[in-house]
This record gives sequence, structure tokens and C-alpha cells, in this order.
Amino acid sequence: MQEEVFNELADLALKSSGQAIPKSKSYLIEARLAPIARREGFGSMADLVHCLKSRANPIFAAEIAAALVSKDTWFFRDRDCLQRIVEDVLPKRLKASNTGRLKVWCAGGSTGQEAYSLAILLADEMPPALRGAKIDILSTDICKVATEKARIGRFGHYEVQRGLSIRRLIKHFTRLETGQWEISEDLRSRVSFRQHNLLESAGGLGKFDVILCRNVLSSMAKPARKRVVESLAEQMMPGAMLLLGNGENLIGITDKLEPARDFRGGWVAAGTANAEASAA
Amino acid sequence: MKTCLIVDDSRVVRKVAARIVRDLRFEVMEAGDGAEAMRMCREKMPDAVLLDWNMPVMNGLDFLRSLRREEGGARPLVVFCSIENDAEHINEALRCGADEFIMKPFDADILESKFAEVGLV
Repeated sequence: MQEEVFNELADLALKSSGQAIPKSKSYLIEARLAPIARREGFGSMADLVHCLKSRANPIFAAEIAAALVSKDTWFFRDRDCLQRIVEDVLPKRLKASNTGRLKVWCAGGSTGQEAYSLAILLADEMPPALRGAKIDILSTDICKVATEKARIGRFGHYEVQRGLSIRRLIKHFTRLETGQWEISEDLRSRVSFRQHNLLESAGGLGKFDVILCRNVLSSMAKPARKRVVESLAEQMMPGAMLLLGNGENLIGITDKLEPARDFRGGWVAAGTANAEASAA
Repeated sequence: MKTCLIVDDSRVVRKVAARIVRDLRFEVMEAGDGAEAMRMCREKMPDAVLLDWNMPVMNGLDFLRSLRREEGGARPLVVFCSIENDAEHINEALRCGADEFIMKPFDADILESKFAEVGLV
């Protein structure tokens, strides 16, 4: 890929979604934009960039920007973490809330596998402490196509075989004539999906007991990480927890959050980790 | 090192699967049909069986039923690997004692994910 073309696209990714794509990973740009290039009949990435600049079409630019973000996800990615959210974090939050209602947000949830995995766990292994609770799961992603796919709940041959046991596949999905697998209406009704750019204010989404933002921040530039994390922190109810992916942390990014005492990868409002540990 | 018996009448499928399974640190054995696989199990029971459905001489389902009746035959973890991927076939495989099911075609991610699902990796 020509340097000029790479620079244009990397700049678009940085400005629109905070993604920092190094030159050594220019192949990611080609792979992620190839479907759009094919659809539009562009012979090269240079043609795509030329069109992007000459059309000045914000919808097309937004589509390109969304396509540049990784969609890689699978069912039950880091199963232990999801299991502990259901068995430990949510029951504690329910006990503390007194409303009988819990809200979970999968921020940067791509095509919905993380949110649906939580819904499956809650359907199959609901701990007694959560019985009767109303648990709302919201999954958001910058990409309209990914969000729509998640909402429809249809997954392909490879997607349903990554992380999902055959028993759960048979129990919760129906095979369609197209060869795709459609998740049950019951599970679809437990999760809602919205298109949302994490760089923008999340005020309209409400406050949450648990926010999962896993494997999202690591591909962002540091200023974008700070902006996103502090925006997420704004949406945390008192006592809520933010969960990051393995190897992701906020040291040097924000002082609004601190590591949760008893949950690796969990972050709580600064000054509350010790208080929570002693209360527990 | 754990052992995995790959049972498939397609040499190509066996070759592809063997390469992936070896990368997962298994010692690989191969059989071209259920009867040959049964003879091999009687000699040495593997830790895992990756099992095709449609094969000459003895199909995968008949092999699985026989295996589970053998002494020590309850121990191997059996992962079916078939193009028969409708719910009816999958349920039948599970009823006969399969531990997991891979729908063909598959790749290394799927095979590793399914082996992880039953605790093989």
C-alpha cells in the first residue's frame, strides 16, 4: 500500500474511532476494507481513498471508518471472566442496588457474541442470588453493519463453532436453510443493540452496573483511550465495575478509576476499591 | 503426550486434521473407517477420537456405539466431525456418546475451540 494512501486511511481511523493502526499493520486496512472496495468496484485502496476525498460523503466516510475497526470476537471469549460476572459481580451489585434491576453494557461489542454469551450464561446457569432480577444487557458498536447483524442474531458456520459448545448451539440456535444459525427469540429479547461511537458522549445510554470494554482499548491511541475510559466512567453507577480485556490496564491513562481488589481486569471508581473490599 | 485417533475415509481430511492436532501436542493415529479404528482402540485406547460420520465398512455412529461398549471405551473423548450438521444428526451423535461435534468444513481455530470445550487442551 502506498504511504500516502496508508496515511489517509490511518488518519481517518484515528480521528473517527481513535484506532492507532501502525504502518506495519497496513494489511489490516486492506483486509478490513476489501469487502467495500469489491462492492464499489475499486481496483485498489488508492481508488477508494480518491473516491473518499472527492465524494466528501459523510455516510461513506463513516462506513469506511467503522469498517477499519476490528470485528474479531467469538462466543465465550474469556469464559472465566463472563462466568465470574454472572456468579460474583452481578449478585453483589444486585444486593447493593435494592432495585431488583441490573444493567450491563458491552461497549465495542462488535457482532454481539459477548452480549449473547452473557445472556446464554444467565439463561443456563442463573445463580440463585440473581433469580427474579431484571437484567438488561446492551451491546454497542461503532459499526452499523455489525450492530444490525448482532440484532438479527444470525451467525455463520465458523462463528457458531468458535467458543460455543455443540449442546448450547443446539439448545439456543436454529439452523436456517441458508446454513446460518439463528439465536433464539428468547435470548434476542434479553439483549438490545445500538450503534454508538465510544469517542462520543454515552450520556444517552444511561448508567450501568457493569461495563465490559474488552479488547477495545488496546488498539486505540492513548488520548482516545483516556477519552473513552473517562466517558465510560461517567456511565458507571456508584459501585459499578468496568471490565477490560486481558493485558489491558488504565495505569497512566486515568486517575478516575482504580483496579478492583478482587477481580483481575476489573476497575472501579477511584477511592472505592478498599472500601468495597472491607464491605465485602 | 496425549493420543488422538483421527477416523476419516478421506486421506486429505486426515492429513489436515493430523497437522492441526499435532500442533495441539497430540500423538496422532489414523484410521480410514470405523472397523479399523475399533481394532486400533482395542490395542491402545486413545485419549481423544476425531470421528467422521459417513465411512465405508463401519460408519462413525456404529463405531461410537461399539467403542462405548468396550472395556475402557467410555474414557476417550469423542469429537464428531461431519458434514451431517442438522440438529437431528447432532442430537443422535450426542445420544450415542459423542462429547462434542464439529461441523465440516473446519479450521484450526474451530478444532482447538472444540478440543478446549471438552478439556482436551
